[in-house]
Formats: sequence, structure tokens, C-alpha cells
Amino acid sequence: MAIPYEFAYERPETAEQAIKLLGKYGKNARILAGGTDLANQMKQGFRVPEILIDIKNIKEWEVIKMVNNELHIGSLVTFNDLRKSQLIREKLNILFEAAGLVASTGVRNRATMVGNICSAVACMDSAAPLLVHEAVIHTMSIDGERAIPIQQWFIDNRKTAIQDNELVTHVSIPIPEKKYAGAYQKMMRYSGEDLSQSNVGVLVLSDNKYHVAFGSVGPIPKRSLKIENLLNTKGISKETIEEAKAMIETVIAPITDVRATKEYRMHMTKVMFERALKSAVERFKQPKLITQ
Amino acid sequence: MKAYKYIGQSVVKVDGKEKVSGAALYTDDLEFGPDLLYAEVVEGPHAHAIINSIDTSEALKVPEVLAVVTGKDFPFNFGLYMKDRFIFAQDRVRFYGEQIAAVVARTPQAAKKGAQLVKVNYTPLPKILNPLDSIKEGAELLHPELKNYEHVPWFFPKADTNIAHHRKIRKGDADKGFEEADYVLEDTYEVPRYSHCAIEFHAAVAKYDHSGRLTVWASSQSPHTQRNLFAQALAPLGIRHNDVRVIAPHVGGGFGSKAGVTMEIIAAAIAMKVQGHPVKVMWNREREFYNTYQRLGVVAKLKIGVKKDGKITALKHDLFWDAGAYVEYAANVVNAVGLSAIGPYNVENASIDSYCIYTNLPPGGPYRGFGYSEFLFGLESHMNRIAAHLGIDPIEIRRRNIIKEGDLTAYGAHMNPNGLLQAIDKVAEEIKWNEKLKSNDPDIALGKGFSLFWKAPAMPPNASSSCFLKFNEDASINLLVSGMDLGQGFLTVMAQIAAEILSVPTSKIRTENPDTDRNPYEWQTVASHITWGCGNAVRKAAIDARDQIFSLVSRTKYLPVDTLYLEDEKVKCTTHPKFALALKDFIINGIQMEDGTFKGGPVIGRGVFMPEYSSTNANPETSQGGHPNVHYTVGAAAAILEIDIQTGKMKVQKVVEAVDAGKALNPSLVKGQIVGGILQGISTVLYEEMKFDHRGKLLNPNFTDYKIPTALDIPGEIVPIIVEVPQPDGPFGARGVGEHTMIPIAPMIANAIDDALGVRIKTMPITAEKVCLEILKKGK
Amino acid sequence: MKKISFKLNGETRFLHVEPNETLLDVLRDRMGVKSPKCGCDNGDCGACTVMLDGKTVRSCLIFAIEVDGHEISTLENISKNGLSPLQKAFLEKNVFQCGYCAPGMILSATELITNNPHPSEHEIKEALAGNLCRCTGYTPVIEAILELTKKD
Repeated sequence: MAIPYEFAYERPETAEQAIKLLGKYGKNARILAGGTDLANQMKQGFRVPEILIDIKNIKEWEVIKMVNNELHIGSLVTFNDLRKSQLIREKLNILFEAAGLVASTGVRNRATMVGNICSAVACMDSAAPLLVHEAVIHTMSIDGERAIPIQQWFIDNRKTAIQDNELVTHVSIPIPEKKYAGAYQKMMRYSGEDLSQSNVGVLVLSDNKYHVAFGSVGPIPKRSLKIENLLNTKGISKETIEEAKAMIETVIAPITDVRATKEYRMHMTKVMFERALKSAVERFKQPKLITQ
Repeated sequence: MKAYKYIGQSVVKVDGKEKVSGAALYTDDLEFGPDLLYAEVVEGPHAHAIINSIDTSEALKVPEVLAVVTGKDFPFNFGLYMKDRFIFAQDRVRFYGEQIAAVVARTPQAAKKGAQLVKVNYTPLPKILNPLDSIKEGAELLHPELKNYEHVPWFFPKADTNIAHHRKIRKGDADKGFEEADYVLEDTYEVPRYSHCAIEFHAAVAKYDHSGRLTVWASSQSPHTQRNLFAQALAPLGIRHNDVRVIAPHVGGGFGSKAGVTMEIIAAAIAMKVQGHPVKVMWNREREFYNTYQRLGVVAKLKIGVKKDGKITALKHDLFWDAGAYVEYAANVVNAVGLSAIGPYNVENASIDSYCIYTNLPPGGPYRGFGYSEFLFGLESHMNRIAAHLGIDPIEIRRRNIIKEGDLTAYGAHMNPNGLLQAIDKVAEEIKWNEKLKSNDPDIALGKGFSLFWKAPAMPPNASSSCFLKFNEDASINLLVSGMDLGQGFLTVMAQIAAEILSVPTSKIRTENPDTDRNPYEWQTVASHITWGCGNAVRKAAIDARDQIFSLVSRTKYLPVDTLYLEDEKVKCTTHPKFALALKDFIINGIQMEDGTFKGGPVIGRGVFMPEYSSTNANPETSQGGHPNVHYTVGAAAAILEIDIQTGKMKVQKVVEAVDAGKALNPSLVKGQIVGGILQGISTVLYEEMKFDHRGKLLNPNFTDYKIPTALDIPGEIVPIIVEVPQPDGPFGARGVGEHTMIPIAPMIANAIDDALGVRIKTMPITAEKVCLEILKKGK
Repeated sequence: MKKISFKLNGETRFLHVEPNETLLDVLRDRMGVKSPKCGCDNGDCGACTVMLDGKTVRSCLIFAIEVDGHEISTLENISKNGLSPLQKAFLEKNVFQCGYCAPGMILSATELITNNPHPSEHEIKEALAGNLCRCTGYTPVIEAILELTKKD
């Protein structure tokens, strides 16, 4: 169906043109990359922008590359680009794993990771992997550039730290110098395409350090320093895992909705945490970073 | 056994090339030119309310809006088995989302804009969202006019209640049977509502032209029934049956949802108000969920008594159906189940009460399985529980009780020949029933489940099929029938029947979805009766054509009719091996005699089939004395299920299903029904559920939250098995299999879960969440 | 209204579109290309699948204006030179029933075997998982692809 109202459309050729347009229209503009979420939002009337600024001609944002010790993922990189990237497979196995669980091929060919974190719906798949890797989100506007740590990015369901005149150019992810391995677990109603009802990302770093993040079990995805401290200080044992699982009850706030009850979400988050942790630890022990 | 050339062969579908090439056109693919109008339906935001007034004035001011129609324009009720429905709501709405008005405009956007401006004033009434509440003393009456509704003679509405129909079976003496029992198990099973989820939306385009002709193009399972109901409902506007023409393009899935009449009548009615213009009514995915038929929900109270050896002494089955706001079709689901809710068992003492109950939820209606999936969930769960209690193997207890040819059904008719025992044996062998499963992973439980199934076509006793068979000059054939190819392969099978009799290859037989002006009568493509019913009509038409051919050849070539036969598109003779007359040489233009005259002319076969022994004349208090079902198709299924104990997630490792097709006219198509039906069954038990809020509003009218399986969710292995015990009155012995394949799946899974975990779940769906929470509960 | 041009099934086409028109609507209603179907209108079902620059996408979630300068290909494009080996395999095995999901399913399978001539069973399932089908149970589709693409 056609969108039931009119709006303008521009497709700038350069970043400068894009931010100029965005500066002009501010909150009345929406940035269009993959559009898989935006088109639905507009059909349902949840978003009524005056103008769409299509950034797909800005080729520099299509790139996945290493810059010094950081991996840069441009705002036009799709989930299938992530799946096809040897760099992602080798350096960010948790993101590679999560990307494979986003929707389905036809959507992954179009949907971008940056779009995912800009939409910031509670059930997004990219947040937990980016949180455990302490990613930084880079924005640009006519006022200049900003680098926002992912911990400060999510404000509320569908609300981020981005300003009305800003757009995201890329996400940078510092690659740990020493060995590391991650694992992602997603709660779905079946094996096919589904929105996450809870998700867990775990990153195991050298020197017995752990990063743990939870998604879909509260308005925003978040890391739990409390659980990380527990694992960092006590190490991995049957007892600490049980202690950490108990702690999850105080960390997340799942709700009951049409997809699942809060009881099942809570239980599953604990199970998935344990499985992600064990899987990450197992991968960490391998000579090379394992990808799924 | 006679060797057939086309029957029993996995012939390539006659519409296969259209479908793999993208050429197949569905209703919304048809072009109607620049004069096409679009209608947008206005819906009520109350489950139950009085409509005080409707103000259409603002809507009519929207540019490009041509008309706004409301219930006042069409104060005519209609319905398939009971006329309890209106085209648009009259004085009240009875479900959330019911159609109240429609705005007709030049563009969909203008129609939508107009629809938003139609102002309706309501007074909400108490709503009833549950069948058990609906039959409580003093419950709000949802249809105070129930006693005045016209209905078929085999329905028994209870005036001044919300019970639209009560099917009652009394066979033998149930009380005595329970007294004789060594063990009696009584429990309640619940099944929620489900949605068909055909991927194509309902769509209808109608045009009432200036000559008074009403043509409707619709995505339909029932072109002639639609013609009948349109003509009946619109008769007050001067419409006769032969004024109405229904054209049915390809259908993108039906599963019952496109049977009878639902939204199509909106297009037909609106067209009458914008004479001269074609007008399109398109449903979207949301409306597919809340404003077409839904599968009925049921609360089933089941009591079975058995002897120590497992022999059933009595069965009592009380079924309380949530049939929704209008039950013109749903009441027949309730009726069909009432007749058959003893399951495929020989039960001497039975008492069944099947209640069709109005609620303020969307209208229930036909859905693949027609109520059998729902009652078999409880019945086949119950059989396993009884077997466990008695220490008898679940398959063995079924063997001891199954109905055999000649045994009496619940309503006292004789059971048809069937291969139920063969099906049980084949399934048990393939699933290695006697081998106990062992899981090597402490987090994984494994279980095996088994279930029987049976189902009869639910149809009026005089449901008819007919066929015209027209030869062309090259001896190719146009086979005109009015069944619908919903994907099951109906048209292909009809071509195979004609091919077999006339020796013309299926590739030379063109048979297409119908146009009621061109094609002869067919009741509906429902009830899994079409291969059987219409197949018989095609067989008769082919024999009629063949008789004409033999008669002509006999009188022109002076050969006895009983020496003639058809082979490779030629007439041949058993006594004159060299005689061979090609059909193409005479089939239209006749045979020239020595005097130069011609005999014969175009050969046109005609075939009609109606089961003349079927009857619904039975005692309403006992249902004894009639022959309401023509025959049953039976079978068995089993599965191996894997359960993740920590998450409740289930994976079906293997499913085996055997169905007695009588004769598989096209084995690849029968297997297609088995494999597809199994997944639809798995989906209803593991994933699907319609969730309504306290207002009666559907919360998940989309595939985001009403989950139907993807390619990643299929069983590890499926073994389809075809059993063939011929149906005496079936074409080449065939009987239907389309619906049956999904109906054993839910109890089969429930039984496998019990086998794996010792947990019995009595409410559908059985989601991973439900299993997991049960495991946690059990652990505490 | 903006004038756009794009390659549709090998032919360069010019068209005036409004930004609010979806690619699916434009293909079906304005260009007469009917194989992409609408089955949900929000990206869940895959019936509207088309190829955009060689990759399968959901045409219901794309604005027609976005494809200016790009290349769109539908099932009609594959069929115009006779059936492909994949289509033939589906035809001969009576894989599809109602056929409504077939155009999208065939494009998804075509994309898969173009990039991966010998896919595993799991890779086939992954590739088809975005195309909902209520009739076939998927098994016949998967089996036909497996048989067609197995290594000799």
C-alpha cells in the first residue's frame, strides 16, 4: 500500500549535502538507509516525516574496514554485508552470529546495522554485541562530529542520544589487543524469522574479564557491570554462574506481552546467559576465534 | 489389478507451468481499467454495541468519493446454513471490527480518507468473549431474533438462548456403559481460535452493469455457492440467479477461509449502488485475521469408561464451541463434530452434545479439518492417558477399539471399507514404535507420540457436482468443472480421470478454474469431497462421451459396441486388430458414409453426481436414523519429538503419517497434502494462537506475532504413507485426503510430550513457553 | 512527482513517481508486472520479493523512487527465455500448491544457488526462511533444490 500521506525525497551525493539537508529539516526529516523499519513505521502512521533523506549514494558509508585497532562499520552496511565480511567473521564473531538471526535474507539484504540501533526498538539484535564490545557511534551534523559511547546511546524505547540535525556515519569498535571471544543468544518463538523476546551477549576477554549485555528485557538494552564484577572477581564456576543467574533477576525488567510472559523471559534470559557464557568461554579456549 | 495409464501416476500439474513461471493470475492481478472504483470498509470498535446513528455526510464531501453505503441500504440477511448475517451491521455490532459501512471512491486513498470521516454513534452493550459465559443463566442475548432465522432442517437453535445449534447423539446407554467400566477418565480440553493464513488476501471485484448483469471476480472456494448466496441476498433488489456471474481466478490458498461467503458479498452489494463501475474490495493482512472466518475455539469435556482390557464401554463428549458473532457456516462445524466425536472407534454406548454458541468474537467458520482437529486433540490425548493407567500400549488400546467396516457409527450407520488397521501397522513399523528412545544429552528429552484420525465430508445430503466435457477438432479436450484448484491439484486429477477413460493425454486436456456462466454446477470445494464428488461427475461425463463415440463408430463402421475400446486417442476393436480410427478424424466433424453424408457431430460429454443415499432425517434427540455422512477417510500418525528441558523448545525429529486415500489418483499430490498438512498441524499445536484482549480486539493480526512456520521450522524427516482400500463409490476407488492430514498432529505432539516428560498438556497451543513452565512447575 | 529511470527485467523504463509509492505497488499497478504479490505488506511474508541489483529484497518496504538508476528483476525476467532448471525442477516435482508464494520463493532460491551452487540443506532453509508458504510444508521445495544442486 502507498504511504497515506505525501512527503519529499532527496538523495544527496555527499555527506556534506546530507547534513545540510538534515540541518534544514531537523526533526521533520528521516534518514533513509535500508528503510525496512522506517517504511513500516510510515505505513502505520507512527512516523510522518516531511522529507526522507536517502543516504544510499554516499559510498564511503558502505564500508567495513580496520582503522588502526578499530573496526569501522559504515551506516549503509547491511546485515548481510556483515554476514559476508571476512573481517566481521574474524574479529567480531558475536556480531556475525547476531546478524544471522536478524529477520530473513531478503530483509538482511536491505536492513542496516546502524538503522537497527537508530530505530532502537527494544527487540533489536545489534545492541548486545555492540555493548559488550564497547562500540562508539559517530555522528555528523552541520555543527560538527560527535563520538557517543554505546552505553550512552540508548535513552528509551525508540529513543537515542542522537540530535535532530545529526546522522550516524559509522560505528567504531575497538578490537581488544589480546585474545577474546563472544557469543550471542536470542530468545525466539521458533527457529524462523522472529523478533527477539530477550537476548544476551557475552564477551570473554583475556585476564578473566567478562562483558555481559542484555536486550529486549527492558526499555533499553544494557550491560550489567554488577554481573561482570561478579564474574571478574570470582571467575567462572558452577557457583558463580548460579549466583550470576540469580542476580539477573535484579538486573533486567522483562514484561508480559503478546510474545511471551515475563516469567518465561526471565527464565530464558538466565538459561541463555549461561549458554552464552559457556559458549564464549569454549570459543575463547580455541586457537582461533570461532564463528557460526 | 487393472493397469492404468494416467490414474495412479504422478502426472505434472496442469497449472504447474503457470505457477512456476509467474504467469498465474490471482484476483488482485486482474486489470479492470481506469473506471475501477475502490471501497474501504468502516469497522466498529466495539465487540458488542447498539448503533444509534451513522453520519456519512463528511465522508461524502471528500473529493473522488462516489458513494457511502451502510446497513440501511441492504437490510437483507443471508447465510449458508442459517441466515443470521447481514452484509453490513444493522442495529448493532457483534464483534470488534465488524463492517458497518463502505466508502466507494476513485482511489484507495480517497476511500480510506472517507472511511475515517464516517461518524458512528454507539451504545456499548455487555460483551461475551467466552462460550461458557454465553450459556450462563441470564447472559446477554446476542441474537434475540434467533428463533426467526431461516436455517437448514438439521439445525436445532434454542430460542431465547445463545445456543444456535445443538447436535445431540444418544447411542446405546451411556450411563450403563459407565457403570460397567473398570476405569473412567474424565477431563476437559481446550482449543483456542486459529486463523487460516492463506498467503493471498481475500479479494473481490464486482460490476453491476447497465443491463442488470452482476459479475463478481473473487478469490473463492465456492463460486456457485457464492452465486447462490449473492442472488438470494440481493433478490430484493431484483437480482435473479442467472443475472449473477462469478468468475474465479487462481486462489492463493483457502483452507476453508474462502468457502461460503464472507467479504465477497460486500463487493457484490456495493456494485449495485455504483451501477456501471467495477468496484474492488481488498482485504489486508489484519482483516484476514479478524474479519474472515476463524477456526472455532472449543472447551471439550470428555469422559470415557473402559474395561481392564482397554475396551471402551461408554463415551460422553460435551463440546462447547465458541462459534462467534454469526454462525451461518460455523454451526455446521459443530454439527459435523457432534456426529463424529466418538472418533474412529467402535463405541456401543455414546452420548455427545455439541453446542454452537454465540460469542462477541469474529464469526467462526470452516477451517481445514472442520472441527475434527479440535475434538481429536482431547480424544486422542485421553486414549493415551487411559492406556497409561491400564498399563496397555497406546497403539494396542486403539487396535482393540477401532471401528471396522460394517460397525455402527455414532448415528447408527455402517462404517465404510477402510484401511485403518493397515495405517496403524505401517506407521508403527516406520516409527519403530517398540523401540524405546534414549537421550544421550541430559538436557534433551525424547518422546514418541501417536494418534489416529478420521473425518467425513460435512455437506448437505444433496451436494452435487457436474461436468461438461467438450472435444475439439484435434481431439484435445476442454473439461469444464466448477471445483476450485486451491493448490491441492484438483484440476490435474480431473484431467487424469478423463484421460484414463478417453485415452487422451492430460497434456491435451485443458481444465481451468470456473466461471459460473461457462462451467456447470458444483456445490463447493470444501469437505475434502471434491476428488470424490466431482471426480465421479467427470468419470460419468467421460463415459458419456465414450458411449457417444462407440455408438457412432458402431453404427457407421458396423462394429458391435462391446468390441470397441479407446487407446492412444484412437477407437480400436477387439475383434479387428487392424481397425484404428483416430478421434481427431471424427470427433467434431463426424464420420462420412459411402453416400457422402456425415453422421455424428461434436462430442460433448455430460456428467452429474449427487450421493442419493445421504440423508439428514434423524431423530434430533438421538441422531439415530439418518445417513448424514457419505463415508470416512481414516489414518494414523506418529512422531519423534525432541525437547530442550531448559527452554521447552521442541523439535520434531520425524513424522510418519499414513492416510487411506482409497486410491491415490496422483501420488505426488496426495503426498503434497500429507506433508503440507503435517506442517499446518504442527504449527497449530506449537506456535499459533489468536490472542484477544478484554475488549475482544485481536492483539496479533499479523505474521510478526501470529507465527506460522518457516522453512527453518520443519520436521527433520517426514514419511508420507498411502494406504489404498478402495471406496466403493469413489472414482477409481478414491476418497478425499486434503483436510485429514493435519488433524492427528496436535494430539500426536501432546502424546509425545507426555512420553518425553511425563507432562500432560490439555490446552492448545503447546508452545515452548508452556512446556517450559510446566517443567519448572514439575521440578518444584 | 519525480521522473525516474531504472532497468526493469532488462529494459530501461522511465516513470514519474511520487515519493510515497512503494515499489510493489508501482510494479503491479503501474507497470503491469504481477508476479510480485502482496501477502502482508510489512516484510514478513516474502511474497513481494524482487531482485534489486541482483539481491532479493522486499518490494513492499522499498519506495519506488529509491530504485532510480538501479536494476529490478522479477520472476517474469527469469521466465522469459523458457523455464530455468530450478523452475523445471519445481514443475516436474509438483512442488507448489496454490502458487502464491512461488515467485518470491523462486527468486530467493535463485539468489541462493547463484551465490552458492551446492548449498547444504540448512543453507537452503536459511535462504527460504523469509518466504512464508502455508501449503507445501516447504519440504518438497527444499528437496527439489537439494536434488538439483547436489554435486555429481
